[in-house]
Amino acid sequence: MSRGAPITDRVHGVPPVAVSDSDTTVNRTGSWKYIRPVYRDRVAPCNEGCPVGIDIEAYMNELREGRVDAALALLLRENPMPAVTGRVCYHPCESVCNRRNYDESVSIHAVERALGDMALEAPPAPPETPTRKERVAVIGSGPAGLACAFHLARFGYGVTVFEAAPEPGGILRLGIPEYRLPKDLLAREIARIQSLGITIKTNARVGADVPWTALDAFDAVFVGTGVHRSLSVGMESEDTPGIRPGLGFLQEVNLGGRPELGRRVVVVGGGNTAMDCARTALRLGSETLVLYRRTRAEMPATDEEVEEAQAEGVQFQFLAAPVRAKSKDGRLSGVECIRMKLGEADASGRRRPVPIPGSEFTVPADTLLGAIGEGPDFEALGADLDHDDWTLATDAFGTTTDARITAGGDIIDQPHTVAHALGAGKRAAVAIDARLRREAGETVDAPDLAALRYGRLGNVTATRWRGDDPVVRNGAVNKVVPYEELNPAHFTPVRVHPDRRLSVERSLEGFDEVNLGLTRELAMAEARRCFNCGVCNRCELCLIFCPDVAISRRPDGTGFEIDYDHCKGCGLCNAECPRGAMAMTREGL
Amino acid sequence: MKKVIVGNHAVAKGAQLARVEVISAYPITPQTQIVEELSELCADGKLAAKFIKVESEHSAMAACIGASAVGARAFTATSAQGLALMHELLHWAAGGRHPVVMADVNRAMAPGWSIWTDQNDSLSQRDTGWIQLYCETNQEVLDTTIQAFKLAETVDLPVMVILDAFFLSHTSEPVDIPEQDLVDGFLPRREARLKLDVDDPRAFGALARPDVYMEMRLRQQEAMEEARRVMVEVDAEWKQLTGRGYGPIECYRTEDAKLLLVTSGTMTSTARFVVNELRDRDEKVGLVKVKMFRPFPTDDLRRVLAGVPRVAVLDRNISPGHGGIFAEEIRSALYDLPPAERPPLHGYVLGLGGRDVTPEVIRDVVVRSLESPAASEREDLWVGVNS
Repeated sequence: MSRGAPITDRVHGVPPVAVSDSDTTVNRTGSWKYIRPVYRDRVAPCNEGCPVGIDIEAYMNELREGRVDAALALLLRENPMPAVTGRVCYHPCESVCNRRNYDESVSIHAVERALGDMALEAPPAPPETPTRKERVAVIGSGPAGLACAFHLARFGYGVTVFEAAPEPGGILRLGIPEYRLPKDLLAREIARIQSLGITIKTNARVGADVPWTALDAFDAVFVGTGVHRSLSVGMESEDTPGIRPGLGFLQEVNLGGRPELGRRVVVVGGGNTAMDCARTALRLGSETLVLYRRTRAEMPATDEEVEEAQAEGVQFQFLAAPVRAKSKDGRLSGVECIRMKLGEADASGRRRPVPIPGSEFTVPADTLLGAIGEGPDFEALGADLDHDDWTLATDAFGTTTDARITAGGDIIDQPHTVAHALGAGKRAAVAIDARLRREAGETVDAPDLAALRYGRLGNVTATRWRGDDPVVRNGAVNKVVPYEELNPAHFTPVRVHPDRRLSVERSLEGFDEVNLGLTRELAMAEARRCFNCGVCNRCELCLIFCPDVAISRRPDGTGFEIDYDHCKGCGLCNAECPRGAMAMTREGL
Repeated sequence: MKKVIVGNHAVAKGAQLARVEVISAYPITPQTQIVEELSELCADGKLAAKFIKVESEHSAMAACIGASAVGARAFTATSAQGLALMHELLHWAAGGRHPVVMADVNRAMAPGWSIWTDQNDSLSQRDTGWIQLYCETNQEVLDTTIQAFKLAETVDLPVMVILDAFFLSHTSEPVDIPEQDLVDGFLPRREARLKLDVDDPRAFGALARPDVYMEMRLRQQEAMEEARRVMVEVDAEWKQLTGRGYGPIECYRTEDAKLLLVTSGTMTSTARFVVNELRDRDEKVGLVKVKMFRPFPTDDLRRVLAGVPRVAVLDRNISPGHGGIFAEEIRSALYDLPPAERPPLHGYVLGLGGRDVTPEVIRDVVVRSLESPAASEREDLWVGVNS
């Protein structure tokens, strides 16, 4: 039935429709543009928010692609103990996750935990031997010391860790209760760190079991001794039997002790150590009351810890402080308290509690656990280092006033968290690596905090320091991408997957882990909720939307190329990019 | 098989039998049951077509053009303001020689808002290069929809199948629905000649300079001339298969007529009734129905109307500032007849915005045409309006 003409048919000297004689590439429409799109990876806010300095976005991307091994490799570059941090880190990454502005933050800790647990299932790697001749001593096997040892071992150094306690792990082993961090799991994670060729000497308190002079044989020393001198509660008759430091109590329980506390336990303090003491006391069969001199709002403990303590039956008296111990038959029988009110803000920005005269009252108590904070023990340090009452003086990388000695963890001026300790250990390892390589005659620039950290506030990444990033970056800039620069039109709401939890009844039966995390499948589903903020994850929307077909896939699958001869600079690719991984730049600049 | 169906479903049935491959539509007023029915056929797997829901009629036509450009049989339907919104793309479809078929439910243009019939929406698209076929019955709607694809794909021009709002679109009539095999034999799969070919990449719709533009328009005009003949052939073939043919125009009891009424759309049926009535009284009044408006059936009309004592053209439309559009076009067609054969022609504007054109109204037209020969031949009379 066809009567019409093919394209090539010419009548009156023209084809039937306005059609070109060749393809369109002859028309270099790219010459029209005055702005051009570029791929420009930026920093996801979670990466900046992580005190450890983990490339969270990158491992989420690998998981989205189903590459679990690659995700683990990325995670283990920066964090030596994800099974630990996936459980005990207070996950500030989630507080800044852009997805919180869309529906709910990604449950990053649950994904990290699942990955960490998978890593523990892998067969142990054969021990590595150092590739460099320098040796480093690390004092303290807490998170700061282990992180420093881990990174130094990865950099090729031989590392010996000196630990005063009979078991390695520091606060992780002795401070944090079993129901939050199972110790067999900690031991396996430490064993993996050790397999890098690290020697850990336990029952080896430097200055007692090991002379300070023994450290002269090392080329560098890292101090990560933490804070474990419990502060005095500051009440009358504090030496009454039945009153003891909370941290010491936790250590005893963590080493297998089951002390008699009596029926009624009073815990003084509002931090995580106080919550740990109260919940541990509950598990030992005591009624437990927490006294805190401010209100619930000022409590430094994480919400999750307080909520779980309340759910388990811990009682709270806010705006109350102990004044005097009362005793009967030479043992504690009660605590006289005084009501407080909140006054002016103090140096910490919190309102200072002020006693209300005449408001005294007494609560019965068989044991009082003091958990108002811990301080460092500088006397035990065998070196003359500058410090104030609370912290060693260091530079941003932990180097003390003695260049041979770096420090990290709770002993330096930073928040007392496991994540911050791991981050400080990494920074110190970078500083030590830089110094030792320079002293060995290599040309090494001093580590540049601004260049090595994620964004403006994040921690240093070992990958940037070593320059061995396995992820292909597209014109990366070290700026965090805010939610406003994402294009949420391409996202779909998905509720966060909540952690599974042991019932309160089961929790109180013993020290079984309370938070059970996510199943592996749900953890992978949670990883797929990640927006991959600021980083191209090959979603291909740019390619789909380009009206000039000027975007093509790189043959090696690492990203896209823009054909600037034909890109007209319309900016659709940049506008459609869901994750702010593109930018428009002035043509010719 | 005969079924009692509304005009909208007659269109949908026709498109289904034509095995359309791509349907694109904006599913809100002024859209009709046409695409509602087609979307259900697609969803139920009864029609193997891609249904592309878009955000405007402009996009609907763009999608049809795109589909047609890769060789698919593409269809859409619209009405009134929706058709107006398509205006730019109507030029693209025709100028790009894309054989898209579209049903237009003839509705009056707003303001004021109207969901009732007149022809101003489709006639406003007169110069876009689309073939326009106006239907009288639901049977004709179905038959014309199927014929339209064959016509469009033979001459590489888009076709608009036009039916009156409500009087056809929402009115049930018995319709003989042909068997699929019959339609398949009549209308094989589209063999596109002008189409995108990834092995021979070219730019379509590119710049045409003054040294080639006119020639392209000339080819388009020649395709329209071709369409006049092809329309007759396609219609004749369909008549052979089904017994039903319509032609570009239809003459009804025109022998020895002293007055010929010229109509289009559903008022034709009313006019048939009045003509029968008058013929029963030996009043020599006949009827000419215009089905094809573009290409305009100039020669057919000249042949039929030459020498007739009087002609009355009934326009359900108005070109403000000029007059009824069919009347003006027919006057123009008859202009160079020898003066003795050129009939006096009266134009009547009626039925706008869905106002009923009843037998009384048509009788009034007849009376005025026969009894008031002094009435102006240049100025159309508005019939059925309040004074």
